[in-house]
Amino acid sequence: MTVSSLSDFSQLSARAIRDGIVSGEFSAAEIASAAYSRIDALEPDIHAFNELTPQLAEEAAARIDAKVAAGELLPPLAGVPAAFKDNMNLVGTHTTCSSRILKNYQSVYDCSAVRRLLDAGALPIGKCNMDEFAFGSSTENSAFGPTRNPWDLDRVPGGSSGGSAAAVAAGMVTVSLGSDTGGSIRQPGALTGTVAMKPTYGRVSRYGIVAFASSLDQIGPFTRSVEDAAMVLNAIAGHDDMDATSVREAVPDFTVGLGDGVKGLRVGVVRDMVDLEGCAPEVRAATESALATLATLGAEVGEIDLPMSQHGLAAYYIIGPAEASSNLARFDGIRYGYRAPDAADVLDLYMRSRAEGFGAESIRRIMLGTHALSSGYYDAYYGTAQKTRTLITREFAAAFERFDVLITPTAPTVAFKIGEKAEDPLSMYLSDVYTIPLNLAGLPGISVPCAKSATTGLPIGVQIIGNHFDESTMLRVASALEAALALDMTPPLTGI
Amino acid sequence: MAKDRLTEVLERYEAVIGLEIHTELTSLNSKMFCGCPVAFGGEPNTRVCPVCLGLPGALPVPNEAAVEATVLAGLSVECAIAPYSQFHRKQYFYPDMPKDYQISQYDLPFCGFGHVDIEVDGDGVAERIDLDAAVSANLLERDSDGYVTRIGVTRIHLEEDTGKMVHVGGSEGRISGADHSLVDFNRAGTPLMELVSEPDIRTPEEARRFAQKLRSIFLALGISDCSMEEGSMRVDGNVSVRPRGQVELGTKSEIKNMNSFKTLHDALAYEIVRQADEIDAGGRIVQETRHYDVGAKRTSALRSKEEAHDYRYFPEPDMVPFEFTPEWIEGIRARLPELPDARRDRFVRDFGLPKGDARTLAADASFADFFEEAVALTGPSLAKPLVNWALGDFSAYLNAEGISLGESRVTSAMLAELVELIGDGTISGKQGKVVFVEMTTSGDAPGAIVALRGMKQVSDSDAIEAAVDRVMAASPAEVANYRAGKTTLIGWFVGQVMREMKGQGNPGLVNEVLARKLDA
Repeated sequence: MTVSSLSDFSQLSARAIRDGIVSGEFSAAEIASAAYSRIDALEPDIHAFNELTPQLAEEAAARIDAKVAAGELLPPLAGVPAAFKDNMNLVGTHTTCSSRILKNYQSVYDCSAVRRLLDAGALPIGKCNMDEFAFGSSTENSAFGPTRNPWDLDRVPGGSSGGSAAAVAAGMVTVSLGSDTGGSIRQPGALTGTVAMKPTYGRVSRYGIVAFASSLDQIGPFTRSVEDAAMVLNAIAGHDDMDATSVREAVPDFTVGLGDGVKGLRVGVVRDMVDLEGCAPEVRAATESALATLATLGAEVGEIDLPMSQHGLAAYYIIGPAEASSNLARFDGIRYGYRAPDAADVLDLYMRSRAEGFGAESIRRIMLGTHALSSGYYDAYYGTAQKTRTLITREFAAAFERFDVLITPTAPTVAFKIGEKAEDPLSMYLSDVYTIPLNLAGLPGISVPCAKSATTGLPIGVQIIGNHFDESTMLRVASALEAALALDMTPPLTGI
Repeated sequence: MAKDRLTEVLERYEAVIGLEIHTELTSLNSKMFCGCPVAFGGEPNTRVCPVCLGLPGALPVPNEAAVEATVLAGLSVECAIAPYSQFHRKQYFYPDMPKDYQISQYDLPFCGFGHVDIEVDGDGVAERIDLDAAVSANLLERDSDGYVTRIGVTRIHLEEDTGKMVHVGGSEGRISGADHSLVDFNRAGTPLMELVSEPDIRTPEEARRFAQKLRSIFLALGISDCSMEEGSMRVDGNVSVRPRGQVELGTKSEIKNMNSFKTLHDALAYEIVRQADEIDAGGRIVQETRHYDVGAKRTSALRSKEEAHDYRYFPEPDMVPFEFTPEWIEGIRARLPELPDARRDRFVRDFGLPKGDARTLAADASFADFFEEAVALTGPSLAKPLVNWALGDFSAYLNAEGISLGESRVTSAMLAELVELIGDGTISGKQGKVVFVEMTTSGDAPGAIVALRGMKQVSDSDAIEAAVDRVMAASPAEVANYRAGKTTLIGWFVGQVMREMKGQGNPGLVNEVLARKLDA
């Protein structure tokens, strides 16, 4: 190991790490220890993790180093430090969903996407903090305290996959997995200056991720480069017999064509979304600037309105909570998880275990969803929301007849202050206005950093939306933009 | 339940009955949404995995064989198969349900609009008071034996079974008074097919026949062992009564815990009389679920439907909807075996069996297979004695031992051989019974038993004549009495000759020779 090469560990890409291990520049064990050194230094201030798994990481690193010693071919993500949102099962870890109700729950099987990433050689560094059961956009709804944004410790990293985003942004790990139900990967990606992708619904198995809303949830990566995102997607994509909604669609090599540029690609800016009233001027400006860059690179830029998608937020806050209210029913204190002591009978046990085990936002969503599915209200709420969803899907389908990719801001504002929106759920919900329509339509989307705020220096992301199962084109546009902008997205980490 | 009390009530009130029949698809290799094996009993919580335990993050993947079995069942009762169907979640909290919702089907079941024709004969015909009034369009046939009526099948859908609760410290394992409860999830996730009938059933006997008919069909399909005792077939009944002539339906109650065909009949009969008595006394029927107590032979209220749960059904988002193509459905239809009615008719036609015997035989597919294997060996000329043996001594043996066909020591080939030995006069029918008992204990073939025991029947007329002569010579007084007109002594003479011949004389020949010599 050369000290110089690892001193900038936090800047290494997945490919550089694998190449360094292959060439003998450093070992997987040294990479693991570099990751934990950085975590030791930063974690007390950032709180990206619920649990660290040094033993699992050491074992995985030892397997990689043994392969090196034996002269064997290394898997594509050999030695790459990875972190997982704490709603993904991994044997040997707790899977808490940042909830008191699962505080002591130990996984007895592996989440398929996690297993695939580890099979690709990644090192399991730890489990990341999140909004409880992924309900939130700031990671403040964690039973174990908020995660702080590495760019400004007084600000949120976004959410719900805020821990996964912060860990990558702060260089504590190279890649991480989050889950995205309404923007929970892309929005924290934008707020932390990371590359954050939600693949097409059905592209990545959901088996083993604790479900929030089954028809919306999708696992995806946080990385510091578009190429790393493509490499992670290569590892985790593809049909899984354990998930009936994972598709048998062919999985291309997503790294192929990343450098092909955007010449001739039809790029549509979603005009009515960019012009949305709640969108901060600096975000709007950054989006326009990114579009101008793409046009300069040869893309055919056009405009489109998606008026139905304006109703996405409303439909989402029916469908998401409806499914969540059902998915979270199993946390009842009977078989695992928190059980209220001294219950009088089974009903008392249910009511108290759930009331004491769930946080306020979880209870709010369960109540919303239960109400939306209730007899007499179902048609008005759930039925209407599903119809809206169909219309949004059709609207996107029509848009993709004109364009290869669509562009919107990722989030309407830069990272906000901790506590700023905590008491105002509706304003918090608006953080996901740009990301939610994709979940409803099942489309892939990626947030890439496109600017830093002139006033705060905080990162701003742009969302590139691809057609169903066409992540490749989306990644190609993201890669072109990344290369053209050449932004330094290293957080200042002042105050640590 | 005195029968006349029921018929007395049914003269004034018409009963309207619909059944919900849950059948576990026990013949499948795996559970509804995971790979765990399907079986009865076993060490608690040993046939479980993250999916059927509903662990966080686990997902259901539908068992295609269960879907196919359900569609096959639908086709067997003339159902239409939905081109578009899906699973829904039925939500309520109960400790035996790992996810606190049951994956079931709601408004888009796999099968609907079917029917089953049932034959009612024997004593049960009397329950159908209105037979002569012919008020029901469902009555298809009637003759001196009884009638045939059509029961509509509303729908057949697929769902997952729950676990089982064991209440410790209460009486008879019931929850009231229990100290604590244990849950066994071995059964959780077992594929459970629910058939809902139209309210076309008018008597407890029709309900019994309907359930029996479905059992015979499902056995023929090979999709379940349909054991009411082990709970792999569970029948719930919705019952109401209305004064004869009234169009408006009465308030119904739902009857549970009817775990045999007899119990099904008796519980419904009890409930019909109870409701009629209630109305006669000026009371009103409350919509509720009632539990049948087999010991006390009565139903009692379980929980009131008025406090019923709002199940908040919604489409199961973990699975995609099913879209069956006509080609796929025809592929399943091609797998339909010969169904009990067709088999019964063939038995009557090809073997000349009485209709009742043919129906009994055809009602149990494996029993009918057993018969057909045997009759293939004996030829159709011995079909009748073969059926008598199969439904008589052989069935009695299985019942007495409490064993299934597969566990029987007597094979179809052995029974065929026995019937042939009797048919060709090698042994008498009486000897046959002795041989059969020996077959059931030793498992030896009847020919071997006959040889070993020297039981061969003597049909040599010289030997029989000599024995008759010896008996007549030794009994001059009886001969004289017989010839004086006391011909009933013939039986005594037969007995004496058979004793003389150590029981091996051909009874027909012995009778014939005796009659000839005594009447000479």
